Amino acid sequence: MDNPPMNELSSPVLLEHLFRRQAGRTVSCLAGLLGFEHLQLAEDAVQEAMLRAVETWPFHGAPEKPEAWLFRVAHNHAISVLRRSTRFESKTGELIAALEARTESVEDVDIEQNLRDDELRMIFMCCHPDLAPDARAALSLKLVSGFSVDEIARIFMAEENTIAQRLVRAKRMIRERRLPLLMPHNVELPERLNSVLEVIYLMFSGGYATHTGEDLIRRDVCLEALRLGRLVADSSMAAPRVDALVALMALQAARLPARTDSAGDLVLLEEQDHSLWDDELITLGYHYFNRSIAGEEISEWHVQAAIAATYAKAKSSEAIDWPAILGHYDQLLNMTASPVVALNRAVVMVKVHGAEPALAALAPLEGHAVMRGYHLLPAVRGRVLAELGRLAEAEAAFSAALECDCAEPERRFLQRQLENVRAGWKESHLDRSSAQDTPHPPLPPSTCLL
Amino acid sequence: MPKYMLLLRDDRELFGKLGPEEMQKTIEKYFAWRNKPFVVDGAGLMEKTGRVMQKKNGSVSVTAGPYSESKEVMGGYYTIEAASFDEAVKLAADNPHVNFGTIEIREVGHRSE
Repeated sequence: MDNPPMNELSSPVLLEHLFRRQAGRTVSCLAGLLGFEHLQLAEDAVQEAMLRAVETWPFHGAPEKPEAWLFRVAHNHAISVLRRSTRFESKTGELIAALEARTESVEDVDIEQNLRDDELRMIFMCCHPDLAPDARAALSLKLVSGFSVDEIARIFMAEENTIAQRLVRAKRMIRERRLPLLMPHNVELPERLNSVLEVIYLMFSGGYATHTGEDLIRRDVCLEALRLGRLVADSSMAAPRVDALVALMALQAARLPARTDSAGDLVLLEEQDHSLWDDELITLGYHYFNRSIAGEEISEWHVQAAIAATYAKAKSSEAIDWPAILGHYDQLLNMTASPVVALNRAVVMVKVHGAEPALAALAPLEGHAVMRGYHLLPAVRGRVLAELGRLAEAEAAFSAALECDCAEPERRFLQRQLENVRAGWKESHLDRSSAQDTPHPPLPPSTCLL
Repeated sequence: MPKYMLLLRDDRELFGKLGPEEMQKTIEKYFAWRNKPFVVDGAGLMEKTGRVMQKKNGSVSVTAGPYSESKEVMGGYYTIEAASFDEAVKLAADNPHVNFGTIEIREVGHRSE
């Protein structure tokens, strides 16, 4: 008998997210060799490689080097498509030669560096300012990060069809505008880099936002955004604001394990068990935060990271330095004039100056276009009014918040608040602010949450 | 203990609907099943078709094939041990393949005592 018994031929455990990672890397690499016009060929080749894996590995086990296997099969498939097809005409020879120039995948250090550069170029192309803002994040998640259309739809709470169309339009735009897979030049670098940072944080926010259930995809996308941020921060595109964004994401991601309880309900930042916070991510966050303040630049990311660092520094909820946080919000509000920032600042004001001034700070936000239909404005108002003992108004505010679209855990949270107000607002809640543990988007929420 | 052969035919389109992460998770499910103690052996079949040999008019003819009408392609086989046909069916039902094609189960014959 040639085959050893099956149970002795135990398969190696695949690295977590190996397929996603390898899909992104291989598409980036092949598209880099073929050029932006042939993005589809690169994508098809990678899909073929993964299909062959799922068709053959179940019987033979995973190959010794699964990454290299997937790369090689995709690479070979792209070459055989080029040989068979007539649609590449006179370009065929040139394209095959381009592919044959890179036949290795992951083995040595130089190639690892090449792959990182391929990924970076792909990120910059996906985040090109010529593309629609809502398409950039979807495209990056698809091409660079290997997320499926279905997963992207779940992240942004959109229909699968909507995301699919968005991707098709973006890819058409890449061809029409001839958006190259090149690192941006000096003059355009700041704008291009800012777009990349916004997209990365948009991904992160998509994952961090409180959606229905404990969908694992949420954590995956947060960590992927963090990975991409570090990729940029540790590249030639590095800048203090990139470090600040990485710090912000790491410090916020550290709280993920504490944000929902076992029933999937929201746990307010102040009520979170700090021992559940991820120490490794906090250390990583401080590392990048320290790097970010080394330069002259102070960006919005810096201030947001400073807020996250202030929370992370507190050993317990009682130890949170609210006046410092309010100071950061003042600064952030000056920089952005964002109503979402103003809303978050009002929450912190309750802590520092009490409910009355906070209520006054909320007033100008009413009727703001960006705030229309945003459940957190009436939710915060309800909370502040309840603390002032204006229970009838608080009840109306919570009811109004429940009229808005929001995720199920938030709805349950608001429902509990409403019932609490109806029951006369129990004492135990008086000392809690309504600081929601949601990221403070630099963009208006309507565009930020798509 | 009786042996059963599972012939797995898969539909590529169904695998094609999976994203990268789902493909990986699916492969891991196959691995988990394959490593169970009742699995005796198994192998994948190369290419989509092979050759069919047949004696015609005194000489052996070899043709490519067999081609089937269905979209499903024989991808490989496993041999398992089970106490009965019912148990073999039950063990095969845990194989993730039931979501991506068909599993034909045949009892492997043996010389009677």
